[in-house]
Amino acid sequence: MDDLTMLRDLGRDLDLEYEPSAGLARQRRRLIDETAGGRRRRPAWFTGGRRAGWIAVAAVAAVTAALVVVPTVLLRESTGLHLLAPPIGDRLPKQGQALTVLLLGSDRRPSWGDPESGERSDLMILLRLSADRKRATAVSLPRDSMVRIPQCRSADGRTVAAHTDMINQAYAIGGLTCARKTVESATGVRVDHAVAIRYDGLAKLVDALGGVEVTLPRAVDDPKSKLKLPAGRSVVDGETAVAYARLRYVGDGSDIARIKRNVALMQAMLKKVSRIDTPAAMATLVRVAATSVTTDPALDLDALVTLAVDVRRAGTRFTALTVPWRPYEKDPNRIEWKQPDATRLFARLTGD
Amino acid sequence: MVSSMIPLATPRLDSDLIAESRARPEAFAALFDRYASMLYRYVSRRLGPEVAEDLVGETFLVAFRRRDRYDLTRPDARPWLFGIVSKLVSRHHRDEAARYRALTRSPLDDVAESPAERVEDGVRATAVRPLLAAALARLPKGDRDVLLLIAWADLSYEEVAQALGIPVGTVRSRLNRARRKVREALGHTNPLRDEE
Repeated sequence: MDDLTMLRDLGRDLDLEYEPSAGLARQRRRLIDETAGGRRRRPAWFTGGRRAGWIAVAAVAAVTAALVVVPTVLLRESTGLHLLAPPIGDRLPKQGQALTVLLLGSDRRPSWGDPESGERSDLMILLRLSADRKRATAVSLPRDSMVRIPQCRSADGRTVAAHTDMINQAYAIGGLTCARKTVESATGVRVDHAVAIRYDGLAKLVDALGGVEVTLPRAVDDPKSKLKLPAGRSVVDGETAVAYARLRYVGDGSDIARIKRNVALMQAMLKKVSRIDTPAAMATLVRVAATSVTTDPALDLDALVTLAVDVRRAGTRFTALTVPWRPYEKDPNRIEWKQPDATRLFARLTGD
Repeated sequence: MVSSMIPLATPRLDSDLIAESRARPEAFAALFDRYASMLYRYVSRRLGPEVAEDLVGETFLVAFRRRDRYDLTRPDARPWLFGIVSKLVSRHHRDEAARYRALTRSPLDDVAESPAERVEDGVRATAVRPLLAAALARLPKGDRDVLLLIAWADLSYEEVAQALGIPVGTVRSRLNRARRKVREALGHTNPLRDEE
């Protein structure tokens, strides 16, 4: 093997699975202070607006992971073990048409959530694939964005009237259908498909992978999520891994830091998945993966596989953005989308 | 109108951001968002994560203070940033050498590997890692900068030349020398070295 290739491999081996978002966020604040002439100009909650770039970074990886991790598992399965039907060419999504997919990372963890809450979406990404599949643009919609949630039907058949709330409530109210309706009305973008990946499914996947490695810059003891980990590298099981990913009250405590840990977890999983080559281990993984993904009826596993094949073949380039936002007027702990920038962004998103 | 919009298909050039930051300093933060992770990864490979975080922060402070001197005809700021990084890294040459020496002693074993993984990786990567690390530790600083900017920062020859302020011919000769030494270090135990 080529010496440069070996060096590159060594470099990758030296990479941490955990990217120190808190640490770099500190360095970013150092720079911001410097650009402001050495003074701190804004209250802490507002600096979040300046960190939007981090979500973009995270979204690239999250989308890559969402498009790669799960379909990779399915894809390998469909070519190797024939437990699933092979992909059928003319199924949705149709080739040659641009495609908009709403990706949700959701949780169904009553032990952590509020007692009254059902399934909530923690991560929302609007993904646009160009007709030739060469370009993918991911727009991350922060979960605490205040938007108008249109009238939705809840799982138990009640009709919930339109109201303004955090965007992630839509999924809690009426699942994928309501989330999709809400995103469509808030963005003006027609959503072709919606996909939800559940955290509990993630935990099972991690267990099926035999655990994954996470690296923490310092020890964590968080009673809220019952997470206790030493500094440095640890191999963790599914539940711990998910607790780690969702941890909010460490680091800089931001949603961004949490998103980054999600990504780190995805990457750790991807690393494991890519190394599996025994049919038995893969079969287990596929069965687990199939239970942790929810899609709308049109986007079934076959379609996901087709999509994954298209994306791989096209060598798709990802652009990741966060919807332009600012603190919500009535509650600085929430955000609202900045207009007209947000509307323009969505108009350009579909204008291919 | 375009300048107020969020970049989508055509992101703004680094040079545009830097030009803007001369009048509007806070615009410089966008450069951080673009490249901090990339620089962090590079530095943490060479010096470890603890040093890397601070060093990346310092890189951007230095870059910010020198933004008036940036050559705006260069759209891509990576060579400039990696140039600053390289200077700052050189202050830590003892840490770097110590890091590579540590790697020669303890290969980066995953704590819990699946058996399949162990078989697949065991032959290849873990066997050469200590040799690679030892070779890196022994390289002269200038040669190591060139080699790692190519291998780990993915810069082109021209970009390395810009970053280090040396002629492209010097980049080539340093790279050849460094790669020869690495191959020699691997050569004793690696019968596949002529495969290339």
